[in-house]
Amino acid sequence: MTAAKFARLGKLALRDLRGNLRSFWVFLACLALGVTTLTGVGTVADAVRASLDSNGRMLLGGDVAVSRMHLRASPQERRWLEAKGQISEIATLRAMARKPGAEALGASALAEVKAVDALYPLTGRLSTEDGADTAGLLHQGPNAVVDRLLGERLGLGIGDRLTLGDGEVVIRGFTGREPDKLAGQAAFGPRVLISLDTLTATGLAKPGSLTRWTYRLLIPGGERLGAPELEGVRKEVRAAFPDAGFGVSDRRDPAPGARRAVDRLGQFLTLVGLTTLLIGGAGVANAVASYLDKKRRTIAVFRALGASSRDILSIYITEILLLAVLGIVAGLVLGPVVTLTGNALFGHLLPFPLVVQIEATTLVAAAAYGLLVALLFTLWPIGRTEEVSAALLFRDEVNTGKRRPRWPFATAMLAALALIGAIAFFTAEDRRLALYFIGGLSVLFAVFLGLGAAVPWLARRLPAPRRPELRLARNNLGGPGSLARQAMLSLGTGLSLLVAIALVDRSLVSELKGGLPERAPSYFFLDIGKDELAPLTAMLAGSGKGATVETAPMLRGRLVSLEGVPVEEIEAPPEAEWVLTGDRGLTFSEDPPASSKIMEGAWWPKGHQGEPLVSFDIELARALELEVGDAVTVNVLGRNVTAKIANLRTVDWDRLAINFVMIFSPNTLEKAPYNVLATLSYPTPQPIAEEAKLVQRVSTQFPSITAIRVKDAIEAIGGVLAQVMTAIRATASITLLAGALVLAGAMATAERRRIYEAVLLKTLGARRRQVLLTHLIEYVTLAGIAGVVAAGLGTLAAWIITRQVMEIAFAYSIWSVLGALGLAGALVLGFGLIGSWRVLSERPVPYLRAE
Amino acid sequence: MTAILLDKVQLTLTSRAGPVAILKDMDLSIDAGETVGIVGPSGSGKSSLLMVAAGLERASAGRVVVAGEDITDTSEDERAAVRARAIGIVFQSFHLMPTMTARENVALPLELTSAPDALARADAALADVGLSHRGEHFPAEMSGGEQQRVAIARAIVGAPRILFADEPTGNLDQKTGQEVMDLLMRLASERGTTLVLVTHDPLLAGRCRRRITLGDGRIVADERKPPA
Repeated sequence: MTAAKFARLGKLALRDLRGNLRSFWVFLACLALGVTTLTGVGTVADAVRASLDSNGRMLLGGDVAVSRMHLRASPQERRWLEAKGQISEIATLRAMARKPGAEALGASALAEVKAVDALYPLTGRLSTEDGADTAGLLHQGPNAVVDRLLGERLGLGIGDRLTLGDGEVVIRGFTGREPDKLAGQAAFGPRVLISLDTLTATGLAKPGSLTRWTYRLLIPGGERLGAPELEGVRKEVRAAFPDAGFGVSDRRDPAPGARRAVDRLGQFLTLVGLTTLLIGGAGVANAVASYLDKKRRTIAVFRALGASSRDILSIYITEILLLAVLGIVAGLVLGPVVTLTGNALFGHLLPFPLVVQIEATTLVAAAAYGLLVALLFTLWPIGRTEEVSAALLFRDEVNTGKRRPRWPFATAMLAALALIGAIAFFTAEDRRLALYFIGGLSVLFAVFLGLGAAVPWLARRLPAPRRPELRLARNNLGGPGSLARQAMLSLGTGLSLLVAIALVDRSLVSELKGGLPERAPSYFFLDIGKDELAPLTAMLAGSGKGATVETAPMLRGRLVSLEGVPVEEIEAPPEAEWVLTGDRGLTFSEDPPASSKIMEGAWWPKGHQGEPLVSFDIELARALELEVGDAVTVNVLGRNVTAKIANLRTVDWDRLAINFVMIFSPNTLEKAPYNVLATLSYPTPQPIAEEAKLVQRVSTQFPSITAIRVKDAIEAIGGVLAQVMTAIRATASITLLAGALVLAGAMATAERRRIYEAVLLKTLGARRRQVLLTHLIEYVTLAGIAGVVAAGLGTLAAWIITRQVMEIAFAYSIWSVLGALGLAGALVLGFGLIGSWRVLSERPVPYLRAE
Repeated sequence: MTAILLDKVQLTLTSRAGPVAILKDMDLSIDAGETVGIVGPSGSGKSSLLMVAAGLERASAGRVVVAGEDITDTSEDERAAVRARAIGIVFQSFHLMPTMTARENVALPLELTSAPDALARADAALADVGLSHRGEHFPAEMSGGEQQRVAIARAIVGAPRILFADEPTGNLDQKTGQEVMDLLMRLASERGTTLVLVTHDPLLAGRCRRRITLGDGRIVADERKPPA
C-alpha cells in the first residue's frame, strides 16, 4: 500500500469514527484500566528497587558490612578492616526491657536491642520522632532511644528509667528515622538503641549469648565503586579470614529479603494486572463487535462505492488501533500518576524515601500487553466485516450468518496470545510462578468461555417452562443476544481469582494462628546461662499444671562448605537456599530428638569421642544433595568445624518445637561457650495474667534471659502477611472492576434490544412486574452460575496452591465463597436492574413506529 | 354497543421546539364489530390515534373508553391488562420477538395472562393464518409476509374484541400485502372483531365499512358504506 493511499484510508477512518467515540467508552476504559494497573504496579516496584539501589549505602550503613554471631571482632580483624576505610561497630540482640522495680504485670517486654559506637551512623542520620539528632546523645551516659511502642507497653516516657539485663538506662527519646532499619532480620519487638558501653554495663553480651556483631565499612570514594570492586572487597574479607565465619554483604543489596519480596510481589501483581487487561479484553471485543454491527450499512455503502475488502479492513483496523493507542496512553499516564499520588500520601510510612522514576521497560511492557490484548480481542469482529456485502442495502438481512473470519485472523490472534504468554514468561523473575499463573489463567478463561457457550446452549434445550417469565428468561439466556458469554467472561475469572486469594490468605492465617499445633510451646526462652538452667527449669515447671520444659544447648553458626565446596558456589534449589545463607541455630545432643525419626544412617553411641558427627534434616539434605558420610563444615565462634553426616532424620517443623537443621555429636561443640534454649508448653492454654506473671518473674530473676511469646511472634509475622495480602487483594479487586466495566458494556449493548422487547411485552399486555421478574430470573441465573463455578474453581486453585505449592493445610472459609457469590449477585443485579429500570421507563411509541 | 369511545381527546407531546398538539379535541365512537379504515397524510395523527386507543400512549386530556373499560386515568400496568384481555395489535414492522419461535411468539400474550392452553391455542391461531408448518421457526428464518402472518396470529390468539392494525402491509410487496389484508378482513368478519386499520392507502381503507380521514390532528371526514 502506498503512503498516499494509507493516508487516504486513515482520513476515511477518522471521518468514519466521527461522533462515534461515545460507543467506545467501555473499550477505552477497559484498556486504560488494565494498562494503568500494569504501569502502576510496575512503577511502584521500579521505585522500590531504585530506592533500594540509590539508598543502598544508607540502608546498609556503609559500603560493605561484615557480621558474625556471638563473637566480637579480634583486634587483628579490626585492624584489617580499619585499613580499608572507616568502620563502625554495632551489636544487635534480643532482650527483655523492664520497668525498674516494678513487679506488676506487663512491666517487661521483648525488645530488639541495638548497641552502637560513636561513629554510628556512618551514613544517614539517626533522629527522634521530633527530628532531633540522637546519635551523640547515646554516648553521654547510660542513655537509650526507644520505639514509642515500647514506652507505651511499659508505661514509660522520656526521662524514665528502663532496666536492661543487669543495668539501667534512661530513655532520652523515641526513635524517628533509623536509617539502617531495614538491614536486619525480622524484628519481633520494638527497638532499643544504646551505646556499646551501655551494652557492656548491662551484661547482656556474655560469651555464648545470641549477639550479632556487625562492622560497617565506609570505603573512601566508596560511592563510586562498581559491582566488581564491591565483590572484590567481599572476596578479600573471605580470603583474609577464611575461618572467621563472617557474613559479608555490600550496599548493592542492603536488604536481600526486601528486594526479593519486592521482586516476587511485583511479578505476581503484574500477572494480576495482566489478568485485569485480559478480562477487560472481553469488553473491548464486545464494544468493537457491536460498533461494527452498527456499521454494517456503512460497510455495505463502502462496498457499493467500490471499496475493496482490504480497504475496508484497513479503515477499521486503523480506527481500532487509534482507539487502542488512546486507551493505552491514558493507562501509561495514569499508572505513574497513581504511584506518585500514593507516594505523596503514604510515602512517609516507608523506611526510606521512595524515588519514583519511570523505567522505559515498564512502560514498554505495559503498552505491549495493551496492544496485544487489543489485537487479540478485536481481530475476530474486524475479520467478520469481510462478510458484509453491498446487497445488504437492497434487502433486509434474513440471517446475520455469524461466519468465522478467514484463517489469517485466527492465526494473528493465536500469535498475539502466544506473544502475551511469552512476554509474561520471559520477563518473569520466577518462571515457575509465571507458568503456574499462565496455566491457571488459561484454564479459567477456557472454562468461562466454554460456560458462556454452554449456558445459551443448555437454555435452548431446556424444556419450555410453563410460566411466561421463566420462558422469557430462558429465551433471553438462550437467544442470539444472550448476555451469558459476557457475564461469564467478565465475572468468572475475576471472582475465581478473588476466591482463590481469599482462601489462600485464610489458610495462611489459620496456619499461623488457629492452626497452631496442639503441643506447640507457649514460650521460647533464649540466652539461658548454663548456671541458670536448673533454677529456671524449676521455676517454669512449677508455673502451671502439666507445664513441660524442653531445653537444648544453642549456638549460632553459619554453613561454610558442603563436601569441601564453599556454600557461595552452591546453587541450591529455592526451598533450601535459606540454609546456606545467614546463621543457623546449632545444637548438640547425646540422644535423637523424640519427634524425629532416623531415616538413613545411625545415631552416635553415648559418650561418642573421635570424629565430629552431625545429624541432618533429610528433606534439606536431599535438596542439597547430601548423603550420609558427607562432610559439612560450619563456622562457630570464628572457628571452622567439620563434621561427618552420621544420619538423616525427619524434622517436624510445623510443631514449632525446638528444631535444628543440624544436631552435632556432643564432643563437637560442648566445649564452646554456649547458652541454652528452652521452650515451655502447657497442655491447656493458661490465663494471660498467669503467663504475664511468669514472664515478669523470669525477667526479674534472670535479667539476661529473653522470653518470646510464640503467639506474639506469630502475630508479628501475621501482621506483615496481612499487609502483603492486602496489596494482593486490592490489585485483584481491580480485575473485578474490569469485569464490572465489561458487564456494563454488555448491558449497554443489549439495552436497545431489551427496551424493544419490554415495549413489545407491554404492548401485548405484560405488566412491569412481569418484565422485571423476567430480567431478575435471567440475572440471578447468570450470577448464580458464574458465582458457583468461580467459587468452585477458586477453591480448587487455592487447594492446589496451599497443598501442592506451599504445602500448608488448606483452610476452607464459606464466607469467602459466599462473598464471591454475593459480589457476583450484587454486580449483575446492580447493573442489570439499573438497566431494567431504564428499559421500563422508556416510552413505547418510538420503538413501535415503522422505521 | 360501543367498542371504542374517544371523548374530546387531546395528545400533546413535548418536542425541542415546545409542545406539539398531535390530536386536537377528537371525538370518535366505534361500534363493536365495525371495520374502520383510518386514512390521512403523514403527520395527520393516524398512528397516534391508534396508540391512544390501544392504551400505548396516554391522552393528555379527554376520556378514552376501550372495550367497555375507561382507561383514561389508569396506570401503565392497568392499561396493559386491558390490552391482554381485549386488544390485538398488528404493526407495519411485525415486531416479533427475535429470540422466540413463531409458536412461542403467538402463545406469548396468552402466557402473560397465564392461560392454561396457550400453546394449543397458538397452534390453532397459526393454522388460521396458514402457518402450521412454520411453528418452530424463528422470525429471522421467515419471509416478511410470513412474519406478518405470525404477527396477525399473535394479535388474534386471545380472541380480542378489538384488532388494531398499523400499516400492516407497508413492509410487504403488493401481492403479499393483498394476501395479508385478505386474511385480516376474513378473520375480523369470521369472529365479529372490531377492526381499526391505519393506512395511507385509500384502496385498503376502502375495504372497510367505515372510512375516517384525519388532517392535522382532527377528523376531517367520516364516511360509512351503505350495507351491501
